[in-house]
Amino acid sequence: MSQLTINNVRIAGMSACVPATVEDNLTLPIYKDEADALKVIASTGIERHHKVEPGTTASDLTVKAVERLLQDMGWEAQDVDCFAYVCTSRDFIAPQTACILQDRLKLRSDCCVFDLPFGCSGWVYGMSIVASLMSHGTFKRSILVAAETNTLNRNPRDTAVRPLFGDAATATALEFDPERSRPMNFVYGVDGSGYDAVWAPYGGMRNPVTPEAIEEKEVAPGVYRRGIDMIVNGMDVFGFAIKQPPRSLKELIEKFSIDVESVDLLLLHQANKFIDEKIRKAVKIAPEKTPYCLEEYGNVTSASIPLTMVTRCREKLTGSGEQHCLACGFGVGLAWASMEFYAGDIKCSDVITY
Amino acid sequence: MNIQDFVENFSAQFDDTDASVFTADTRFKELDEWSSLTALSIIAMIDDEYDVIIKGNDILNSDTIQDLYNIVEKHL
Repeated sequence: MSQLTINNVRIAGMSACVPATVEDNLTLPIYKDEADALKVIASTGIERHHKVEPGTTASDLTVKAVERLLQDMGWEAQDVDCFAYVCTSRDFIAPQTACILQDRLKLRSDCCVFDLPFGCSGWVYGMSIVASLMSHGTFKRSILVAAETNTLNRNPRDTAVRPLFGDAATATALEFDPERSRPMNFVYGVDGSGYDAVWAPYGGMRNPVTPEAIEEKEVAPGVYRRGIDMIVNGMDVFGFAIKQPPRSLKELIEKFSIDVESVDLLLLHQANKFIDEKIRKAVKIAPEKTPYCLEEYGNVTSASIPLTMVTRCREKLTGSGEQHCLACGFGVGLAWASMEFYAGDIKCSDVITY
Repeated sequence: MNIQDFVENFSAQFDDTDASVFTADTRFKELDEWSSLTALSIIAMIDDEYDVIIKGNDILNSDTIQDLYNIVEKHL
C-alpha cells in the first residue's frame, strides 16, 4: 500500500478568490418549474455557485488569491521557493500555467514551479507533493494553488452539470518549521478503468479537435454537449463516490491508528451533500465536525477543501489551539487521496470576490 | 436476497408513486417519477442493502426491476 508520512512542514496561511457573478439554481433556465429545481437543490445541497465571466481564467482568480495571501502573511513573492498549480482548466495547452504565473506573480526565476493537473483529489495530492519536497529542508516557503473554472470546461446547456459546478481559486501557504509542525499522513487510490466517468473526450492527442468535436449535440433530452466539454457520468461517479472515499478514510484511520473521537474537522471534497453525508456517516464523524460550503459555491473540484477551510473554518484555524483534521479528495481519474494533519494559528484571509 | 424484498426496497426510493404499482416486471424507467436522482437513490439503496455498487450501465441496460435484481444477484 502507498502511504506517506511527511514531517517538518505546516500550513501557515490560506486564501481564496471566487468570481463575483453568482448563478442561482432556483432560477436556472434548465428546469421546467421551481419544484423541479427545488428537488435538485434538496438532494445535492447546492443552492448556487460563482461563475467567471468570459475572458477570466482560473489563473486570473489565482493571482488575486496569491497576492492577498502574500500580503496577509507578510511574505514577499521573492520568498517563495516552490509554487504548485493544481488545475485542469489551464490557460493554454502549452506551456504550463505555473510558468506564466511565475512572471505574473513576480516569483523568483529560480523558484521551483509546476502544474499538477488533478481534479477533485488535487488539494490532498498537491499537499503531499509540495510538503514532501519541502521536507528535505531547503524549500522554506511554498504556495500550493488549487483552482478551477468548471463553468468554462463544461457545457452550460448540460443540465447534468450546470447546477453542480462552480469556479474558485485557493492558495495554501506552507512553511518548513520543525518546531511547530506535526506529521502529515497520506494514503492514495486510483482506478483508471473509470477514466470515462468524468472526462473531456476531445481536445487531447487521442481525439484531437475536429469540426465535429466543437459541434453541440443533444445527447439526451435537454442535455447538450460538445466533444470538447467535460462530461460527468453521474451514476458511475456516484457509485464510486459512495464506495472509495469511505474506504480510503478508513484505511487512513487504520494505518495511522487515528482516534476518530479526537478528530475536530472532517474536510471532504464538496461533491454534493448526498454523497458527502454518506461518507461522513460511514466514518462516524459528527455533523458539527463536517463543514460544508457547497450550498454557496457548488463543487469547485480541487479548490473544494481549501475553500471550505477558508470560508467555514476560519475561526478554528486561526485560533491558537490545534485542529486535528482529516481530509479526503475524490473524483476525476478516478483518483482519490486522504490525509491526516493538524492545523492552527494559520493566517487565513477573507474570501475575495473578483 | 429475494425479489420481494428487492421490489420493496426499490419502491421505497419513490415519493409519489404508490408502492402497489411496483412488481418484478415493472418497467421502472417508464414511471413518471423516474429521474436521474431516483437512479442515484437506487444505486445507494443497493449499496446499503446488498453491499454491491452497480454501474450506470447496469441501470441503463435494465428495463424491469427483475433485470436489475439479476445484475445485483450476480455480484453477490
